[in-house]
Amino acid sequence: MSAFFIKRLGFSVITLFGVLTIVFFIVRVLPGDPALVILGDQASQVSIEALRERLGLNEPLFVQYLQFLGGVVVGDWGVSMVSGRPVVEEILKVLPATVELTVVSLILGAVIGIPLGVWSAVRRNELPDYIVRIASLLGLSLPAFVSAILLLLMFSITLRWFPVMSSGQGDTLLERARDLALPAINLGLIMAAYITRVARSAMLEVLNQDYVRTAHAKGLVFRVIVWRHCLRNALIPVVTVVGLYLGILIGNSVLTEIVFNRPGLGKLIVGALNQRDYTMLQGMMVIYTLIVVLVNLFTDLVYGLIDPRIQYS
Amino acid sequence: MKKSAIAASALAMIAATGAHAAGTTLNVGMASADAGVIDPHVATSTPDKGLLHWMFNGLVRIKPGQASPEFIEPDIAESWTTSDDGLTWVFKLREDVECHGDFGPLDAQDVVFSLDRAMDPDISSFANDYSAVQSVEATGDYEVTITLSSGEAGFLGKLVPYHGGNIVCQDAVEALGDDFANRPVGTGPFMFDEYQPQQYIKLIANPEYFRGEPKIQEIYYRYIPSDASRDLAFQAGEIDMIYGRQDQTWVERIQEIPGTKIVKMQPGEMTLIHLNMTMPPLDDVRVRRAIAHAINRDAMVQFRGQDVTLAAISPVPEGYQGFTADVPTYDFSVDQAKALLAEAGHPDGITVKSVQTSLPGMLTTMEVLQSLLRDAGIDLQLELVEHATFHQMIRDDASQVTQYSAARFPVADTYLTQFFHSDAIVGTPTAITNFSHCAVADAEIEAARTETDPAKQDELWATAQQKIMEEVCAIPIYQNLQLWAWNDKLDLGVEVKGSLNLSPPVTEQAAFSE
Repeated sequence: MSAFFIKRLGFSVITLFGVLTIVFFIVRVLPGDPALVILGDQASQVSIEALRERLGLNEPLFVQYLQFLGGVVVGDWGVSMVSGRPVVEEILKVLPATVELTVVSLILGAVIGIPLGVWSAVRRNELPDYIVRIASLLGLSLPAFVSAILLLLMFSITLRWFPVMSSGQGDTLLERARDLALPAINLGLIMAAYITRVARSAMLEVLNQDYVRTAHAKGLVFRVIVWRHCLRNALIPVVTVVGLYLGILIGNSVLTEIVFNRPGLGKLIVGALNQRDYTMLQGMMVIYTLIVVLVNLFTDLVYGLIDPRIQYS
Repeated sequence: MKKSAIAASALAMIAATGAHAAGTTLNVGMASADAGVIDPHVATSTPDKGLLHWMFNGLVRIKPGQASPEFIEPDIAESWTTSDDGLTWVFKLREDVECHGDFGPLDAQDVVFSLDRAMDPDISSFANDYSAVQSVEATGDYEVTITLSSGEAGFLGKLVPYHGGNIVCQDAVEALGDDFANRPVGTGPFMFDEYQPQQYIKLIANPEYFRGEPKIQEIYYRYIPSDASRDLAFQAGEIDMIYGRQDQTWVERIQEIPGTKIVKMQPGEMTLIHLNMTMPPLDDVRVRRAIAHAINRDAMVQFRGQDVTLAAISPVPEGYQGFTADVPTYDFSVDQAKALLAEAGHPDGITVKSVQTSLPGMLTTMEVLQSLLRDAGIDLQLELVEHATFHQMIRDDASQVTQYSAARFPVADTYLTQFFHSDAIVGTPTAITNFSHCAVADAEIEAARTETDPAKQDELWATAQQKIMEEVCAIPIYQNLQLWAWNDKLDLGVEVKGSLNLSPPVTEQAAFSE
C-alpha cells in the first residue's frame, strides 16, 4: 500500500512540475502587459518601462523561469504583481471559503442526486423517471449565474430569508450556514443534476445483471436488492464522476462566487487572468493541480472501499 | 420539540438578516472584485481612488461636491502666496492636522516627504505630473516652499488630494514600509481599519480630524463585481450607496426603488474615435471628414440613453476648464460623406480596421458605429480582443480606428496633452495615448500650459480644439457622467455636482437622518 502511495506521489510531483512549466510560458506568451494594467491607462511609456524593469519582465524568459523555480523550491511563491501581497497568503485567505462551498455543494448534490437517480432507474419509463430526467436536464442546461440570480430574487428579495451578500465571515455556525445556503444550493443542484444522470445509468446497467435476477429468484424483497446489492456496484461510476467534477467545480464556482459575492479561488484566478498577474496565476495553477491530484488519489482510495476486489499493492 | 427549534432558528436567521448599527454605518457597493493597490501615490483604478478619496487631504482641495479647479480652497495649507513670476509658492500649514492612529501630528517635514515621494518615479505612478517642480522644502515647522523650474498655470490643481497631491505621513510610511500599500495612513476624515480579501475594506472615523469628528463611524467599502448582485443588495437595503452603471436601464431600474437619490457627477468620461492619420486612407483629411459626417450623434445618444449621455463635439469634454463649443462640427449627412469620399478618390467606399475590446459597454458603441458607417459606404471591420490585450495593441500602434473612453483631471491641458500632443504619440518613447498621431496643435497646447492670464489661456485652448477638429484627428461622440445612487436618508451635507476622485464626497459632514 505504501509503495502505491509513493509511486502516486512521485507521479504527482512530475505532473505538478509539468503544469507549472506549461503555465509559466503560456501566460507570458499571452498579449497584454501587466505593467500597463497595473499602472492604468494614463501612465506614460516611461513609467511603464520602469515598472517592467522592476517586475523583472525584461529579463530573458529562461532567466525568469529559473528565478521562479528557485523561489518555489524554498517556498517563496512571489508576490502578486498587482497588489504586492504574497501569493500564498492571498490563496490561503480564500481557500477555506472555496473548500467550504465545494464540500457542502458536493454533499448536497450527492444526497439529492443518488436517491433520485436510483429511483428514476427503478421506475424506468414511468412518471417518476420522466420527472427526474426533465429536472436533471433543467439543472444541467440552466447556467450557474442565471440560477444564482433567480435564487437571489426569490429568497433574498421577495422572501427575505437570506442576505444578498454572503460574506462567509460569520462567527457563529448559524451565520455561516445562512451565508452558505443559497450558493451551496445553487452549486448543489447543478451537481445533483449530473449525479442523477450518472446514478441512473449506472443503476440501469446493474439492474440488468444476472445476479439481480438470481436474487429476485431467491425471493429477496426488491428494496433490499436495490439498496444492499445494486447500489454498491452502481456507485463506482458515480464516484468517478464526482471525483472528476470536484476538480471542475472549484473552477466553475467562480460564477456563483461572483453573483453571491463570496471570496473564492475561482474569482481570484479570473481576476489574476484579467490583470495579467503572472505570479498569482502560477501560484493558482499549482494549487489547482494539487487539488485535482489529491482528489484523484482520494477517488482511487474510495474505490478500494466500495469494491473489495480492488486492491493496491 | 424539533419543530420549535427549527422555527426558532428560522426566526433568528430572519432577524439577523440586514442587522447593522443603524445611522452610523455606511455600506458602499463598488463594482470591483477586490482591492487593488491602495497606496495613494500609486492607485489608478476607479475603485481604489474612490476609497482613498475619503482618507486623505492635500495642501489645498477642491470644494467637496465639485470637480473643477475653480473651486480650490484651503485644506492642510491655510494660506499661500505666489511670487510674481509664478515660480515660488509658499504654503502656510495648519497646526492641528493629525495623522491617523498613533502616527502623531503632521508638519512641514511630512508634506515635503509626501511630495518627494509623489515625485519619485520608482514609487509613484504620477511622478510625471510634477516634472516642473524643482524643489520642495520645509522653510519652517509649518511652512513649505515649492519652487518650479518653469511656470505652470494650473499648478495648484496638482496639490489637491488626487493622485500625487495626497499627503501621506512620513512616520507611517517609514514604519510600515511595504505594508503601507496595504494599510495606508493619511489625515482625512476616515482611516483604514480592516481588509477582508474579495469582500470589503472597513474604514472608521478619525476622531482627531481637524474639521471635526465624522458623524459616520464606519464605512464598509464592499467589493461586489456582479452588477445584478450589487443592484439587488441595494434594493434589499444591504448597501446604502451604490456605484452605478452608465446605462439608461440602470437609472430607470434604480429610480423605482423608493427612497433613492441618483446623482450624476463630473468629470465625465468622453468617448472619442481616434483616426490614425498615418494609415491610408485616413491620411486624407477628406476621408476623415467623411467619417465625421457619417456619424449620427443624436442617434447614438438616444441609443445610450438620454439621461446618462451628453453629445460631445469637442476634443475636450464639456465641463472641463477650457472647453469650448466653438469648434468646426460635421453635421450628420450620408450624402456629404459619400461626396467627400468620392472627392478623395474612393467612390466605392473604403474599408478601415479597428482593434476593439470585447468589453460590452465599449463594444456596443462600436457596433452601432459600424452600422451607421456602413450606410455611407464605410466598412468598419472590428478585430475583437480581450480588454488588456486591447490596451496593449492600441499602444503598439496596431489599430487604424481606435475607440477610447476616458475621464481626466478636468482641465483642457490634461486631455489635450495625453491625446493630441505629438509627444504622446503611441509607439514612441514618450508615448501616452495619442492614437491618431495628431500633431496640429502642439504650439497652442504648450503655450497654454505656461500662460498665466486665464483669458489668454482659454483662447489658446480654444484654438487648439478648433485646429484638432479642423483636421479631424478624432471624432468626439458622447460623454457619460459618473453615476452613483444612495439612500436618501444619507445626507452628505453638500450639493454633489462632481468629484475628482470619482466617488461621492463622504466627509465629516455626512450623516444619516431618521
